[in-house]
Amino acid sequence: MSTPNVAIVGTGQTHHSRRRTDVSTAGLVREAVVRALDDAQLTFDDIDSVVVASGPVLFAAVNQPEKWLVDVCGARLKPVVRVTSGGGTGLAGALAGMNQVAGGFAERVLVVAYDKLSEGALQYSISSLYDPFWGREFAVGIMGFAAAYWRARMDTLGHTEEAAAMVAVKNRGNALRNPYAHVKKPVTVEEVLESKPLAWPIKLLDVPPISDGACAVVLASERAAASITDRPAWIRGMSYYSEADNGPDRSMIQSEPLAIAAQRVYQKAGITNPRRQFDVAEIQEPYTCFELSYYEGLGLCRPGGAAELIASGATGMEGDIPVNPSGGCLGANPIGATALIRLAEAARQVTGKAGDHQVAGAETALVQAGGGWANLRGVAVVGAEKN
Amino acid sequence: MSATELPRVAVVSSAQTELRAAWPSLQHVDLISTAVTRALAGSALRIEDVDFVIDSGSDVLDGRSISNCGFLGALGAHHKEESRVEEDGLWAALYGVTKITSGSADVGLIVAYSKPSESDLAAFYWTQAEPFYARPVGLDHRAAAGFHAQAYQAAGGPGADAFATVVARNWERAAANPAVALDGPPPAADDGAVPMSRPVDGAVAVVIAVEDVARRVTPDPVWITGMGTAMDQHTFARRKRGALPACRAAAQMAYRRAGIDDPRRVSLVETGADSAVGELMVLEALGLAEPGRGIELYNGGEHIAVNPSGGSLPADPVMATGLVRLSEASRQLAGRAPHRPAGATSAIVHGAGGIGGQNHCVFTLEVDPR
Repeated sequence: MSTPNVAIVGTGQTHHSRRRTDVSTAGLVREAVVRALDDAQLTFDDIDSVVVASGPVLFAAVNQPEKWLVDVCGARLKPVVRVTSGGGTGLAGALAGMNQVAGGFAERVLVVAYDKLSEGALQYSISSLYDPFWGREFAVGIMGFAAAYWRARMDTLGHTEEAAAMVAVKNRGNALRNPYAHVKKPVTVEEVLESKPLAWPIKLLDVPPISDGACAVVLASERAAASITDRPAWIRGMSYYSEADNGPDRSMIQSEPLAIAAQRVYQKAGITNPRRQFDVAEIQEPYTCFELSYYEGLGLCRPGGAAELIASGATGMEGDIPVNPSGGCLGANPIGATALIRLAEAARQVTGKAGDHQVAGAETALVQAGGGWANLRGVAVVGAEKN
Repeated sequence: MSATELPRVAVVSSAQTELRAAWPSLQHVDLISTAVTRALAGSALRIEDVDFVIDSGSDVLDGRSISNCGFLGALGAHHKEESRVEEDGLWAALYGVTKITSGSADVGLIVAYSKPSESDLAAFYWTQAEPFYARPVGLDHRAAAGFHAQAYQAAGGPGADAFATVVARNWERAAANPAVALDGPPPAADDGAVPMSRPVDGAVAVVIAVEDVARRVTPDPVWITGMGTAMDQHTFARRKRGALPACRAAAQMAYRRAGIDDPRRVSLVETGADSAVGELMVLEALGLAEPGRGIELYNGGEHIAVNPSGGSLPADPVMATGLVRLSEASRQLAGRAPHRPAGATSAIVHGAGGIGGQNHCVFTLEVDPR
């Protein structure tokens, strides 16, 4: 059965930074919501339903924070629900909103995602995701196991430190042209390689910043979109798959839920040659090594081809498949919002509204997101044309 | 898109663990996998037939960030689409239904659970209060229920005697419900305090499916005919007290979709309030009684049966309470519960979230004429 088309008709994000002391969490969310509504030229009254997405509540110590945010979303007496799914929660929230529209529950849905990481103990909060009896003694946030698997990928797939450093150079360079980015400082491969090891091979400049930030997206049915804009971005496919953590045969060399999500979304959007068919990609790279891994998982190159791909310059702004023209997570990393920011950036690319980091003529964009302990993975395809 | 063009979705099976004050010998994953296994065993479906899992639980109650991550195996979600709705499980069901009506899936597994016996339940509630102004003055679910009760009585509604009747009636019915383990008679309310719900440990799983699958796998599909949800503003001091406009808005949305003109003609209602005054206000907001007169529904003679399962007051598994109501109502309509009201063909299901009933979700159900 075919699913009804859903459009992105407005996007907005905050100016991200390490500490947004000028606003509360509610004020931060409000900034993104107002910008998204302005972009769509809509008001609160036009919104039927709100989906809130954020990282674990321990990040900011307000339980069920959507109850607090209802007022800044202008949603009194409307449907409001919160979806949470670790770091990829922004895309999980967009998927819930997309189903509300495609499933006939609402015509226009506001999806808002945020985290205000300056107000909590981040790595402590992340460490609490491990099993309380068996996992926490040796858990140090998310970095420890990410480093271990990168090390394994070095041997099996050739994901060298130099290749990852090139990702840092590219994304940190791209962030210079993004007005909302938090970190705007160019780096060289040498500087990345010489930066302080945090959990080797992960070094300081392989790691994104910790940011306060929010993003909002307005989704609309085909009928509603027609009366809002003549240039919507169409969601041509979106999926979010999981992998149980306790499988002894689980492979982290290539992510299985990512492969399943990509296959499902590519099938729906008619993508058979991702490298050729996508004009641009926005992917959520919590560390540089993940971007290399995703090149392969998303089919932008063969398994083991990631180091060659980044070295070729193909994923740079002047390449044939620019990845993270916004600067990605290395430019700003308000965790709960980052996946929705990727979707919003993709929508702006295919509607020609990406400003200084616009990829000329972009019509089809790839979006990737992930969360949990690398076991929740989402993929979306956004296009100027619908399926 | 009009509601009539949407695919029909049915509850085809559901199951729960026994709801009891504490399950000290079982972990979260044990409760969850028990409910999931029983729900699938009660249908002609296998886990391979399930397209997606939407689950409901609380990181705060579980003492664990992204707690769904640790339970994916028990949830049956491995290599499936999964999302966590961090609200009462009835909202997880709402998400699941839209995933089927959108045409992107045929069969969904909806799961909710809580284990408050291992947590500080008071902290679960007070951390929901806005941190700058509401928390310092001690606003929590008990205080909110008290304010509601005062306003309810000031507007001409009944007081402590009516609350005691609501509690007694629900305990009586829960005692006849094999899914609920009571510790004895309802605890005496503190002097002047509103009776609150009794927190319990437990899990519930509900299998939903698109019409053609539903008709293949069960002789008794329970059709979801309407859904509505609405959230009130956060600041309790600015909310209407003694009544629940958000519950009314949610009910009207559900009734409109279901084409229900007079909800009092529905066979039964299962409510998910966290206090006795809350239950009365919910029944009134659902349009089943005039404001201040919800207690009349307990006196017999009315058409609609209120909480045949015992409802949420004797057994409140926090994040699972509304989904338990959906499970209970579905089992009654399908003729699979001993406490089914004779001749019941339709139901209203209610779930709530937040302090003082800030958020509400309403489902309407019906079965084919026999």
